[in-house]
Amino acid sequence: MSEVAISVRGLRKSYGENEAVAGIDFEVAGGEVFGFLGPNGAGKTTTIEILEGYRERSDGEVAVLGVDPAAPTRAWRERVGLVLQECELDPLWTVREAVSLFARFYRDPRPVGETIELVGLADKRDARIGSLSGGQKRRADVALGIIGDPELIFLDEPTTGFDPGARRDAWNMIEGLKALGKTVFLTTHYMDEAQHLADRVAILRGGQIVAQGKTEEIAETIGRSTVIGFVANGELSVEDMRAAVSGTVSTVGDQVEIQTPEPQRDLYQLLALAEQRGAELRELEVRRPNLEDVFLELTRESP
Amino acid sequence: MSDRGIVLAQARMAMLVALRTPRTVIFTIAFPVILLVLFNSIFNAGGNETTTLPSDVKLSAEAYFTAGIIAYAAALSTFTTLAVSLTTQREHGQLKRYRGTPMPPWTFIAGQIIRAEAQALAMAAVLLAIGALAYDVPVPAATFPAFVLYLLLGTATLCSLGIALSAFTPTPDAASTIAPFSVVILSFVSGVWIPVDQLPSWLEKVGQIFPLSHLALGLQTTLAPGASGSGLEAGTVLALVIWALIGIRIATHRFKWEPQASAA
Repeated sequence: MSEVAISVRGLRKSYGENEAVAGIDFEVAGGEVFGFLGPNGAGKTTTIEILEGYRERSDGEVAVLGVDPAAPTRAWRERVGLVLQECELDPLWTVREAVSLFARFYRDPRPVGETIELVGLADKRDARIGSLSGGQKRRADVALGIIGDPELIFLDEPTTGFDPGARRDAWNMIEGLKALGKTVFLTTHYMDEAQHLADRVAILRGGQIVAQGKTEEIAETIGRSTVIGFVANGELSVEDMRAAVSGTVSTVGDQVEIQTPEPQRDLYQLLALAEQRGAELRELEVRRPNLEDVFLELTRESP
Repeated sequence: MSDRGIVLAQARMAMLVALRTPRTVIFTIAFPVILLVLFNSIFNAGGNETTTLPSDVKLSAEAYFTAGIIAYAAALSTFTTLAVSLTTQREHGQLKRYRGTPMPPWTFIAGQIIRAEAQALAMAAVLLAIGALAYDVPVPAATFPAFVLYLLLGTATLCSLGIALSAFTPTPDAASTIAPFSVVILSFVSGVWIPVDQLPSWLEKVGQIFPLSHLALGLQTTLAPGASGSGLEAGTVLALVIWALIGIRIATHRFKWEPQASAA
Protein backbone atom coordinates (compact mmCIF):
# COMPACT_ATOMS: atom_id res chain seq x y z
CA MET A 1 0.00 0.00 0.00
CA SER A 2 1.48 3.25 -1.01
CA GLU A 3 -1.57 5.30 -1.95
CA VAL A 4 -2.52 8.24 0.22
CA ALA A 5 -4.67 7.27 3.21
CA ILE A 6 -5.27 10.76 4.57
CA SER A 7 -4.81 14.03 2.78
CA VAL A 8 -5.32 17.38 4.50
CA ARG A 9 -4.97 20.74 2.74
CA GLY A 10 -5.44 24.11 4.42
CA LEU A 11 -7.59 22.69 7.20
CA ARG A 12 -9.11 25.30 9.47
CA LYS A 13 -11.56 25.13 12.34
CA SER A 14 -12.73 28.10 14.32
CA TYR A 15 -14.99 28.28 17.32
CA GLY A 16 -16.23 31.85 17.22
CA GLU A 17 -13.18 34.10 17.41
CA ASN A 18 -10.89 31.29 18.44
CA GLU A 19 -9.12 29.43 15.66
CA ALA A 20 -8.39 25.95 17.02
CA VAL A 21 -6.83 24.74 13.79
CA ALA A 22 -5.23 27.48 11.74
CA GLY A 23 -4.54 26.03 8.31
CA ILE A 24 -2.64 22.77 8.36
CA ASP A 25 -1.44 20.46 5.57
CA PHE A 26 -0.26 16.89 5.81
CA GLU A 27 -0.52 13.53 4.14
CA VAL A 28 -0.51 10.04 5.57
CA ALA A 29 0.57 7.26 3.24
CA GLY A 30 -1.17 3.91 3.22
CA GLY A 31 0.45 1.40 5.57
CA GLU A 32 2.40 3.87 7.66
CA VAL A 33 2.15 4.77 11.33
CA PHE A 34 1.71 8.53 11.55
CA GLY A 35 2.34 10.23 14.89
CA PHE A 36 0.24 13.36 15.45
CA LEU A 37 1.78 15.21 18.37
CA GLY A 38 1.24 18.40 20.28
CA PRO A 39 0.61 19.76 23.76
CA ASN A 40 -2.92 19.98 25.14
CA GLY A 41 -4.90 22.68 23.41
CA ALA A 42 -2.78 22.59 20.24
CA GLY A 43 -5.74 21.48 18.11
CA LYS A 44 -5.01 17.75 18.06
CA THR A 45 -8.40 16.59 19.20
CA THR A 46 -10.23 19.00 16.93
CA THR A 47 -8.23 17.76 13.94
CA ILE A 48 -8.66 14.08 14.74
CA GLU A 49 -12.40 14.53 15.28
CA ILE A 50 -12.68 16.20 11.88
CA LEU A 51 -10.82 13.29 10.29
CA GLU A 52 -13.04 10.80 12.16
CA GLY A 53 -16.22 12.41 10.86
CA TYR A 54 -17.41 13.80 14.21
CA ARG A 55 -16.85 17.48 13.58
CA GLU A 56 -17.32 19.80 10.66
CA ARG A 57 -14.43 21.90 9.47
CA SER A 58 -14.51 25.62 8.79
CA ASP A 59 -12.31 25.47 5.71
CA GLY A 60 -9.88 23.34 3.76
CA GLU A 61 -9.86 20.03 1.94
CA VAL A 62 -9.82 16.70 3.70
CA ALA A 63 -9.92 13.20 2.24
CA VAL A 64 -9.76 10.10 4.42
CA LEU A 65 -9.49 6.92 2.32
CA GLY A 66 -10.61 9.08 -0.58
CA VAL A 67 -13.83 10.19 1.17
CA ASP A 68 -14.71 13.56 2.68
CA PRO A 69 -15.30 12.74 6.37
CA ALA A 70 -17.77 15.63 6.65
CA ALA A 71 -20.24 13.27 4.97
CA PRO A 72 -19.43 9.91 6.54
CA THR A 73 -21.10 6.96 4.83
CA ARG A 74 -21.73 3.51 6.18
CA ALA A 75 -19.34 2.01 3.59
CA TRP A 76 -16.62 4.41 4.75
CA ARG A 77 -17.22 3.60 8.41
CA GLU A 78 -16.62 -0.06 7.51
CA ARG A 79 -13.05 0.84 6.51
CA VAL A 80 -12.12 3.13 9.41
CA GLY A 81 -11.55 1.97 13.01
CA LEU A 82 -11.65 4.40 15.92
CA VAL A 83 -10.13 4.17 19.37
CA LEU A 84 -11.41 7.30 21.06
CA GLN A 85 -10.32 9.07 24.21
CA GLU A 86 -12.64 9.06 27.19
CA CYS A 87 -15.12 6.50 26.01
CA GLU A 88 -16.19 4.11 28.68
CA LEU A 89 -17.70 0.78 27.81
CA ASP A 90 -20.63 -0.52 29.77
CA PRO A 91 -19.00 -2.00 32.88
CA LEU A 92 -21.67 -4.71 33.01
CA TRP A 93 -20.80 -6.24 29.63
CA THR A 94 -18.20 -8.95 29.36
CA VAL A 95 -15.31 -8.47 26.97
CA ARG A 96 -16.70 -11.08 24.61
CA GLU A 97 -20.22 -9.61 24.68
CA ALA A 98 -18.89 -6.17 23.79
CA VAL A 99 -16.67 -7.39 20.97
CA SER A 100 -19.44 -9.65 19.60
CA LEU A 101 -21.91 -6.73 19.59
CA PHE A 102 -19.53 -4.51 17.66
CA ALA A 103 -18.70 -7.36 15.25
CA ARG A 104 -22.37 -7.30 14.19
CA PHE A 105 -22.04 -3.72 12.95
CA TYR A 106 -19.64 -4.77 10.18
CA ARG A 107 -20.28 -6.71 7.02
CA ASP A 108 -17.03 -8.64 7.23
CA PRO A 109 -15.61 -8.46 10.76
CA ARG A 110 -12.52 -10.15 12.12
CA PRO A 111 -13.16 -13.30 14.18
CA VAL A 112 -14.18 -12.28 17.72
CA GLY A 113 -12.00 -14.77 19.60
CA GLU A 114 -8.94 -14.03 17.51
CA THR A 115 -9.35 -10.27 17.99
CA ILE A 116 -9.64 -10.66 21.76
CA GLU A 117 -6.44 -12.72 21.66
CA LEU A 118 -4.68 -10.13 19.50
CA VAL A 119 -5.23 -7.43 22.14
CA GLY A 120 -4.09 -9.80 24.87
CA LEU A 121 -7.40 -10.26 26.68
CA ALA A 122 -7.89 -14.00 26.04
CA ASP A 123 -7.75 -14.70 29.79
CA LYS A 124 -10.31 -12.02 30.45
CA ARG A 125 -12.80 -12.78 27.68
CA ASP A 126 -15.61 -13.60 30.10
CA ALA A 127 -14.74 -10.95 32.67
CA ARG A 128 -17.00 -7.93 33.08
CA ILE A 129 -15.48 -4.76 31.63
CA GLY A 130 -15.97 -3.11 35.03
CA SER A 131 -13.56 -5.59 36.63
CA LEU A 132 -10.70 -4.85 34.22
CA SER A 133 -7.67 -2.65 34.98
CA GLY A 134 -7.24 0.62 33.11
CA GLY A 135 -4.81 -0.94 30.68
CA GLN A 136 -7.10 -3.89 30.04
CA LYS A 137 -10.06 -1.58 29.40
CA ARG A 138 -7.99 0.32 26.86
CA ARG A 139 -7.16 -2.97 25.15
CA ALA A 140 -10.87 -3.75 24.97
CA ASP A 141 -11.29 -0.32 23.32
CA VAL A 142 -8.66 -1.30 20.78
CA ALA A 143 -10.42 -4.63 20.14
CA LEU A 144 -13.61 -2.70 19.28
CA GLY A 145 -11.62 -0.35 17.06
CA ILE A 146 -10.19 -3.16 14.96
CA ILE A 147 -13.04 -5.70 15.02
CA GLY A 148 -14.26 -4.42 11.65
CA ASP A 149 -10.85 -5.17 10.11
CA PRO A 150 -10.37 -1.53 9.09
CA GLU A 151 -7.77 -0.27 6.64
CA LEU A 152 -7.16 2.83 8.72
CA ILE A 153 -7.13 3.01 12.51
CA PHE A 154 -7.23 6.15 14.63
CA LEU A 155 -5.57 5.56 18.00
CA ASP A 156 -6.16 8.58 20.23
CA GLU A 157 -3.77 8.30 23.18
CA PRO A 158 -4.01 4.52 23.29
CA THR A 159 -1.61 3.98 26.21
CA THR A 160 -2.44 6.81 28.61
CA GLY A 161 -2.39 5.43 32.14
CA PHE A 162 -0.56 2.22 31.20
CA ASP A 163 2.23 0.79 33.31
CA PRO A 164 5.52 0.23 31.41
CA GLY A 165 4.83 -3.44 30.79
CA ALA A 166 1.35 -2.80 29.41
CA ARG A 167 2.77 -0.03 27.23
CA ARG A 168 5.31 -2.43 25.71
CA ASP A 169 2.50 -4.92 25.00
CA ALA A 170 0.46 -2.18 23.34
CA TRP A 171 3.45 -1.21 21.21
CA ASN A 172 3.81 -4.80 20.06
CA MET A 173 0.14 -4.84 19.18
CA ILE A 174 0.39 -1.61 17.18
CA GLU A 175 3.43 -2.99 15.37
CA GLY A 176 1.31 -6.05 14.64
CA LEU A 177 -1.34 -3.84 13.03
CA LYS A 178 1.31 -2.21 10.88
CA ALA A 179 2.60 -5.65 9.88
CA LEU A 180 -0.93 -6.45 8.71
CA GLY A 181 -0.67 -3.48 6.34
CA LYS A 182 -2.96 -1.17 8.33
CA THR A 183 -2.50 2.57 8.36
CA VAL A 184 -2.34 3.92 11.90
CA PHE A 185 -3.01 7.53 12.90
CA LEU A 186 -1.59 7.82 16.40
CA THR A 187 -1.78 10.60 18.95
CA THR A 188 0.19 10.33 22.16
CA HIS A 189 1.78 12.43 24.86
CA TYR A 190 4.67 9.98 25.14
CA MET A 191 7.48 10.97 22.82
CA ASP A 192 9.28 7.66 23.30
CA GLU A 193 6.10 6.00 22.07
CA ALA A 194 5.95 8.12 18.94
CA GLN A 195 9.69 7.65 18.39
CA HIS A 196 9.31 3.89 18.69
CA LEU A 197 6.15 3.44 16.61
CA ALA A 198 5.76 6.27 14.14
CA ASP A 199 7.27 6.25 10.66
CA ARG A 200 6.53 9.95 10.38
CA VAL A 201 5.32 12.58 12.79
CA ALA A 202 3.76 16.01 12.70
CA ILE A 203 4.07 18.36 15.68
CA LEU A 204 1.23 20.78 16.26
CA ARG A 205 1.38 24.00 18.24
CA GLY A 206 -1.27 26.66 18.48
CA GLY A 207 -3.28 25.14 15.65
CA GLN A 208 -0.34 24.99 13.27
CA ILE A 209 2.10 22.30 12.28
CA VAL A 210 5.55 23.44 13.43
CA ALA A 211 7.46 20.39 12.17
CA GLN A 212 6.76 17.25 10.24
CA GLY A 213 8.79 14.53 8.64
CA LYS A 214 10.30 11.12 9.15
CA THR A 215 10.70 10.40 12.82
CA GLU A 216 14.48 9.84 12.57
CA GLU A 217 15.00 12.97 10.51
CA ILE A 218 12.74 15.40 12.32
CA ALA A 219 15.60 16.72 14.46
CA GLU A 220 17.65 17.58 11.39
CA THR A 221 14.69 19.27 9.76
CA ILE A 222 14.65 21.84 12.55
CA GLY A 223 18.46 22.18 12.60
CA ARG A 224 19.19 20.15 15.68
CA SER A 225 22.41 18.16 15.49
CA THR A 226 24.14 15.41 17.43
CA VAL A 227 25.50 16.34 20.84
CA ILE A 228 28.79 15.11 22.35
CA GLY A 229 28.65 15.65 26.09
CA PHE A 230 31.12 15.08 28.91
CA VAL A 231 32.50 16.52 32.13
CA ALA A 232 35.94 18.08 31.65
CA ASN A 233 38.47 18.01 34.47
CA GLY A 234 40.28 21.26 33.73
CA GLU A 235 43.13 20.04 31.55
CA LEU A 236 41.22 20.85 28.37
CA SER A 237 40.57 24.49 27.61
CA VAL A 238 37.52 25.56 25.70
CA GLU A 239 39.81 27.34 23.23
CA ASP A 240 41.66 24.10 22.47
CA MET A 241 38.43 22.26 21.97
CA ARG A 242 37.01 25.00 19.71
CA ALA A 243 40.18 24.77 17.59
CA ALA A 244 39.95 20.98 17.32
CA VAL A 245 36.28 20.40 16.44
CA SER A 246 33.93 21.72 13.77
CA GLY A 247 30.89 21.80 16.08
CA THR A 248 29.76 24.44 18.57
CA VAL A 249 31.24 24.12 22.04
CA SER A 250 29.26 25.29 25.04
CA THR A 251 29.87 24.81 28.75
CA VAL A 252 27.80 24.90 31.90
CA GLY A 253 30.20 24.58 34.82
CA ASP A 254 32.26 21.47 34.16
CA GLN A 255 29.71 20.12 31.74
CA VAL A 256 30.73 20.49 28.10
CA GLU A 257 28.41 20.04 25.14
CA ILE A 258 29.51 20.00 21.54
CA GLN A 259 26.74 20.28 18.99
CA THR A 260 28.05 18.93 15.75
CA PRO A 261 26.94 18.10 12.24
CA GLU A 262 30.01 15.78 11.97
CA PRO A 263 29.93 13.67 15.14
CA GLN A 264 32.36 11.02 13.96
CA ARG A 265 35.13 13.45 12.97
CA ASP A 266 34.69 15.70 16.01
CA LEU A 267 34.68 12.77 18.39
CA TYR A 268 37.93 11.55 16.87
CA GLN A 269 39.53 14.99 17.20
CA LEU A 270 38.29 15.36 20.76
CA LEU A 271 39.62 11.96 21.85
CA ALA A 272 42.96 12.68 20.21
CA LEU A 273 43.16 16.01 22.02
CA ALA A 274 42.28 14.44 25.36
CA GLU A 275 44.89 11.67 24.83
CA GLN A 276 47.55 14.25 23.98
CA ARG A 277 46.78 16.31 27.13
CA GLY A 278 46.30 13.28 29.36
CA ALA A 279 42.78 14.51 30.12
CA GLU A 280 39.93 12.31 31.19
CA LEU A 281 36.46 12.80 29.63
CA ARG A 282 34.11 11.67 32.35
CA GLU A 283 30.49 10.70 31.58
CA LEU A 284 31.22 10.83 27.89
CA GLU A 285 28.15 10.37 25.71
CA VAL A 286 27.13 10.91 22.13
CA ARG A 287 23.47 11.74 21.88
CA ARG A 288 21.35 12.07 18.80
CA PRO A 289 18.61 14.58 19.49
CA ASN A 290 15.48 12.57 20.15
CA LEU A 291 11.88 13.39 19.45
CA GLU A 292 11.36 14.58 23.00
CA ASP A 293 14.14 17.20 22.66
CA VAL A 294 12.56 18.42 19.44
CA PHE A 295 9.07 18.41 20.87
CA LEU A 296 10.07 20.35 23.96
CA GLU A 297 12.02 22.89 21.97
CA LEU A 298 9.20 23.45 19.50
CA THR A 299 6.37 23.61 21.99
CA ARG A 300 8.07 25.17 24.99
CA GLU A 301 6.68 28.68 25.01
CA SER A 302 3.09 29.25 24.15
CA PRO A 303 2.51 31.18 20.93
CA MET B 1 -24.90 -8.89 9.52
CA SER B 2 -28.41 -7.66 8.89
CA ASP B 3 -29.80 -4.53 10.49
CA ARG B 4 -32.45 -6.67 12.15
CA GLY B 5 -29.65 -8.69 13.73
CA ILE B 6 -28.12 -5.48 15.09
CA VAL B 7 -31.47 -4.39 16.57
CA LEU B 8 -31.92 -7.72 18.34
CA ALA B 9 -28.31 -7.75 19.57
CA GLN B 10 -28.74 -4.22 20.98
CA ALA B 11 -32.01 -5.23 22.65
CA ARG B 12 -30.35 -8.30 24.14
CA MET B 13 -27.39 -6.30 25.47
CA ALA B 14 -29.73 -3.68 26.96
CA MET B 15 -31.71 -6.45 28.65
CA LEU B 16 -28.51 -8.00 30.04
CA VAL B 17 -27.46 -4.66 31.46
CA ALA B 18 -30.88 -4.11 33.06
CA LEU B 19 -30.85 -7.55 34.66
CA ARG B 20 -27.28 -7.06 35.90
CA THR B 21 -28.12 -3.73 37.53
CA PRO B 22 -29.49 -4.40 41.01
CA ARG B 23 -31.15 -0.99 41.18
CA THR B 24 -33.11 -1.65 37.99
CA VAL B 25 -34.16 -5.12 39.10
CA ILE B 26 -35.29 -3.88 42.51
CA PHE B 27 -37.04 -0.67 41.52
CA THR B 28 -38.54 -1.53 38.17
CA ILE B 29 -39.18 -5.28 38.50
CA ALA B 30 -39.46 -6.33 42.16
CA PHE B 31 -40.94 -3.08 43.50
CA PRO B 32 -44.19 -3.09 41.45
CA VAL B 33 -44.83 -6.74 42.36
CA ILE B 34 -44.33 -6.00 46.06
CA LEU B 35 -46.55 -2.92 45.85
CA LEU B 36 -49.28 -4.90 44.09
CA VAL B 37 -49.34 -7.44 46.88
CA LEU B 38 -49.17 -4.75 49.60
CA PHE B 39 -51.93 -2.57 48.18
CA ASN B 40 -54.28 -5.45 47.54
CA SER B 41 -53.62 -6.88 50.98
CA ILE B 42 -53.82 -3.65 52.97
CA PHE B 43 -56.65 -1.78 51.33
CA ASN B 44 -59.12 -4.52 50.75
CA ALA B 45 -58.34 -7.22 53.28
CA GLY B 46 -61.33 -9.48 52.82
CA GLY B 47 -63.62 -6.55 51.98
CA ASN B 48 -65.74 -5.73 49.00
CA GLU B 49 -64.46 -2.26 48.21
CA THR B 50 -65.37 -0.97 44.82
CA THR B 51 -64.18 2.06 42.95
CA THR B 52 -66.16 4.08 40.47
CA LEU B 53 -64.38 5.40 37.41
CA PRO B 54 -65.29 8.80 35.93
CA SER B 55 -67.31 6.93 33.29
CA ASP B 56 -69.47 5.53 36.15
CA VAL B 57 -68.09 2.04 35.55
CA LYS B 58 -67.49 0.18 38.80
CA LEU B 59 -64.67 -2.23 39.51
CA SER B 60 -63.18 -3.96 42.54
CA ALA B 61 -60.40 -2.25 44.44
CA GLU B 62 -58.12 -5.13 43.44
CA ALA B 63 -58.83 -4.66 39.74
CA TYR B 64 -58.31 -0.90 40.18
CA PHE B 65 -54.95 -1.26 41.90
CA THR B 66 -53.77 -4.03 39.57
CA ALA B 67 -54.48 -1.94 36.48
CA GLY B 68 -52.97 1.17 38.09
CA ILE B 69 -49.80 -0.64 39.15
CA ILE B 70 -49.46 -2.14 35.66
CA ALA B 71 -49.46 1.46 34.35
CA TYR B 72 -46.93 2.45 37.03
CA ALA B 73 -44.66 -0.52 36.18
CA ALA B 74 -44.97 0.32 32.48
CA ALA B 75 -43.78 3.87 33.17
CA LEU B 76 -40.78 2.62 35.15
CA SER B 77 -39.89 0.00 32.51
CA THR B 78 -40.04 2.48 29.64
CA PHE B 79 -39.88 6.16 30.57
CA THR B 80 -37.57 5.89 33.59
CA THR B 81 -35.15 3.23 32.40
CA LEU B 82 -34.81 4.76 28.92
CA ALA B 83 -34.10 8.26 30.25
CA VAL B 84 -31.52 6.94 32.71
CA SER B 85 -29.82 4.44 30.42
CA LEU B 86 -29.63 6.72 27.39
CA THR B 87 -28.21 9.56 29.47
CA THR B 88 -25.67 7.22 31.05
CA GLN B 89 -24.60 5.73 27.74
CA ARG B 90 -24.32 9.18 26.19
CA GLU B 91 -22.26 10.67 29.03
CA HIS B 92 -19.94 7.66 29.08
CA GLY B 93 -19.19 8.22 25.40
CA GLN B 94 -20.82 4.97 24.37
CA LEU B 95 -23.22 6.65 21.94
CA LYS B 96 -20.36 8.62 20.41
CA ARG B 97 -18.48 5.38 19.92
CA TYR B 98 -21.49 3.84 18.15
CA ARG B 99 -21.57 6.79 15.77
CA GLY B 100 -18.01 5.95 14.75
CA THR B 101 -19.08 2.52 13.50
CA PRO B 102 -21.21 1.51 10.48
CA MET B 103 -24.11 0.77 12.85
CA PRO B 104 -27.21 2.64 11.59
CA PRO B 105 -28.30 4.93 14.46
CA TRP B 106 -31.93 3.81 14.29
CA THR B 107 -30.95 0.23 15.09
CA PHE B 108 -29.62 1.33 18.47
CA ILE B 109 -32.76 3.28 19.36
CA ALA B 110 -34.96 0.40 18.14
CA GLY B 111 -32.99 -2.03 20.32
CA GLN B 112 -33.48 0.19 23.39
CA ILE B 113 -37.22 0.51 22.72
CA ILE B 114 -37.59 -3.26 22.28
CA ARG B 115 -35.89 -3.82 25.63
CA ALA B 116 -38.24 -1.32 27.30
CA GLU B 117 -41.35 -2.78 25.64
CA ALA B 118 -40.34 -6.35 26.44
CA GLN B 119 -39.81 -5.42 30.07
CA ALA B 120 -43.08 -3.48 30.28
CA LEU B 121 -45.15 -6.23 28.64
CA ALA B 122 -43.55 -8.97 30.77
CA MET B 123 -44.25 -6.91 33.89
CA ALA B 124 -47.86 -6.39 32.79
CA ALA B 125 -48.28 -10.14 32.20
CA VAL B 126 -46.83 -11.00 35.60
CA LEU B 127 -48.84 -8.36 37.48
CA LEU B 128 -52.07 -9.26 35.68
CA ALA B 129 -51.49 -12.96 36.36
CA ILE B 130 -50.93 -12.27 40.08
CA GLY B 131 -54.04 -10.08 40.13
CA ALA B 132 -56.19 -12.69 38.38
CA LEU B 133 -54.94 -15.68 40.36
CA ALA B 134 -54.52 -14.19 43.84
CA TYR B 135 -57.07 -11.37 43.92
CA ASP B 136 -59.82 -12.47 41.54
CA VAL B 137 -59.20 -9.60 39.16
CA PRO B 138 -61.46 -10.21 36.16
CA VAL B 139 -59.98 -10.23 32.68
CA PRO B 140 -63.08 -9.63 30.51
CA ALA B 141 -62.67 -11.17 27.04
CA ALA B 142 -64.63 -8.36 25.38
CA THR B 143 -62.31 -5.62 26.55
CA PHE B 144 -59.01 -7.55 26.64
CA PRO B 145 -57.99 -6.44 23.12
CA ALA B 146 -58.47 -2.84 24.27
CA PHE B 147 -56.37 -3.58 27.38
CA VAL B 148 -53.51 -4.73 25.13
CA LEU B 149 -53.96 -1.75 22.84
CA TYR B 150 -53.84 0.73 25.75
CA LEU B 151 -50.74 -1.02 27.02
CA LEU B 152 -48.99 -0.85 23.64
CA LEU B 153 -50.00 2.75 22.98
CA GLY B 154 -49.20 3.85 26.53
CA THR B 155 -45.78 2.22 26.61
CA ALA B 156 -44.93 3.60 23.14
CA THR B 157 -45.87 7.07 24.42
CA LEU B 158 -43.78 6.65 27.56
CA CYS B 159 -40.82 5.34 25.51
CA SER B 160 -40.88 8.44 23.32
CA LEU B 161 -41.07 10.67 26.41
CA GLY B 162 -38.20 8.83 28.12
CA ILE B 163 -36.02 9.28 25.05
CA ALA B 164 -37.09 12.93 24.87
CA LEU B 165 -36.26 13.50 28.55
CA SER B 166 -32.75 12.11 28.08
CA ALA B 167 -32.00 15.06 25.81
CA PHE B 168 -32.45 17.40 28.79
CA THR B 169 -30.71 15.46 31.57
CA PRO B 170 -27.04 16.43 31.47
CA THR B 171 -25.75 13.67 33.76
CA PRO B 172 -26.77 10.13 34.76
CA ASP B 173 -27.38 11.47 38.27
CA ALA B 174 -29.81 14.06 36.97
CA ALA B 175 -31.65 11.45 34.91
CA SER B 176 -31.88 8.91 37.72
CA THR B 177 -33.31 11.59 40.00
CA ILE B 178 -35.74 13.33 37.65
CA ALA B 179 -37.13 10.31 35.80
CA PRO B 180 -38.19 8.10 38.75
CA PHE B 181 -39.22 11.10 40.85
CA SER B 182 -41.60 12.42 38.21
CA VAL B 183 -43.21 8.98 37.84
CA VAL B 184 -43.71 8.63 41.60
CA ILE B 185 -45.21 12.11 41.92
CA LEU B 186 -47.48 11.62 38.92
CA SER B 187 -48.60 8.22 40.15
CA PHE B 188 -50.27 9.90 43.16
CA VAL B 189 -52.43 12.12 40.96
CA SER B 190 -52.98 9.59 38.16
CA GLY B 191 -55.16 7.08 39.96
CA VAL B 192 -52.45 4.54 40.62
CA TRP B 193 -52.50 4.50 44.44
CA ILE B 194 -55.48 6.71 45.19
CA PRO B 195 -58.70 6.67 43.16
CA VAL B 196 -58.91 9.98 41.37
CA ASP B 197 -62.41 10.67 42.69
CA GLN B 198 -60.85 10.98 46.15
CA LEU B 199 -58.50 13.75 45.02
CA PRO B 200 -59.31 17.46 45.18
CA SER B 201 -60.65 18.31 41.75
CA TRP B 202 -57.79 20.67 40.91
CA LEU B 203 -55.29 17.90 41.62
CA GLU B 204 -57.33 15.49 39.54
CA LYS B 205 -57.19 17.99 36.68
CA VAL B 206 -53.42 18.36 37.02
CA GLY B 207 -53.06 14.59 36.86
CA GLN B 208 -55.21 14.45 33.75
CA ILE B 209 -52.74 16.61 31.84
CA PHE B 210 -50.15 13.83 31.93
CA PRO B 211 -50.19 10.51 30.08
CA LEU B 212 -49.83 8.23 33.10
CA SER B 213 -53.38 9.02 34.25
CA HIS B 214 -54.75 8.16 30.81
CA LEU B 215 -52.85 4.88 30.64
CA ALA B 216 -54.05 3.95 34.15
CA LEU B 217 -57.64 4.93 33.32
CA GLY B 218 -57.58 2.99 30.04
CA LEU B 219 -56.31 -0.15 31.75
CA GLN B 220 -58.76 0.23 34.66
CA THR B 221 -61.68 0.64 32.26
CA THR B 222 -60.78 -2.48 30.32
CA LEU B 223 -60.50 -4.57 33.52
CA ALA B 224 -63.96 -3.53 34.72
CA PRO B 225 -66.49 -6.30 34.22
CA GLY B 226 -69.24 -3.81 33.37
CA ALA B 227 -67.32 -1.83 30.74
CA SER B 228 -69.39 -1.17 27.66
CA GLY B 229 -68.32 -2.21 24.15
CA SER B 230 -64.65 -2.56 23.41
CA GLY B 231 -63.60 -0.48 26.40
CA LEU B 232 -61.78 2.03 24.17
CA GLU B 233 -62.53 5.66 24.87
CA ALA B 234 -61.65 8.29 22.31
CA GLY B 235 -60.51 10.88 24.87
CA THR B 236 -58.07 8.49 26.54
CA VAL B 237 -56.63 7.25 23.24
CA LEU B 238 -56.33 10.81 21.93
CA ALA B 239 -54.48 12.03 25.05
CA LEU B 240 -51.93 9.22 24.71
CA VAL B 241 -51.49 9.86 20.99
CA ILE B 242 -50.90 13.58 21.55
CA TRP B 243 -48.25 12.85 24.20
CA ALA B 244 -46.64 10.29 21.88
CA LEU B 245 -46.42 12.90 19.12
CA ILE B 246 -44.88 15.42 21.54
CA GLY B 247 -42.36 12.81 22.70
CA ILE B 248 -41.44 11.73 19.17
CA ARG B 249 -41.08 15.32 18.02
CA ILE B 250 -38.72 16.23 20.88
CA ALA B 251 -36.83 12.92 20.74
CA THR B 252 -36.12 13.15 17.02
CA HIS B 253 -35.15 16.84 17.15
CA ARG B 254 -33.20 17.02 20.37
CA PHE B 255 -31.56 13.63 20.83
CA LYS B 256 -27.80 13.93 21.36
CA TRP B 257 -25.10 11.36 20.72
CA GLU B 258 -22.12 13.16 22.23
CA PRO B 259 -21.45 13.67 25.94
CA GLN B 260 -22.94 16.97 27.16
CA ALA B 261 -21.44 17.45 30.61
CA SER B 262 -17.85 17.36 29.37
CA ALA B 263 -18.55 19.19 26.09
CA ALA B 264 -16.18 22.07 25.53
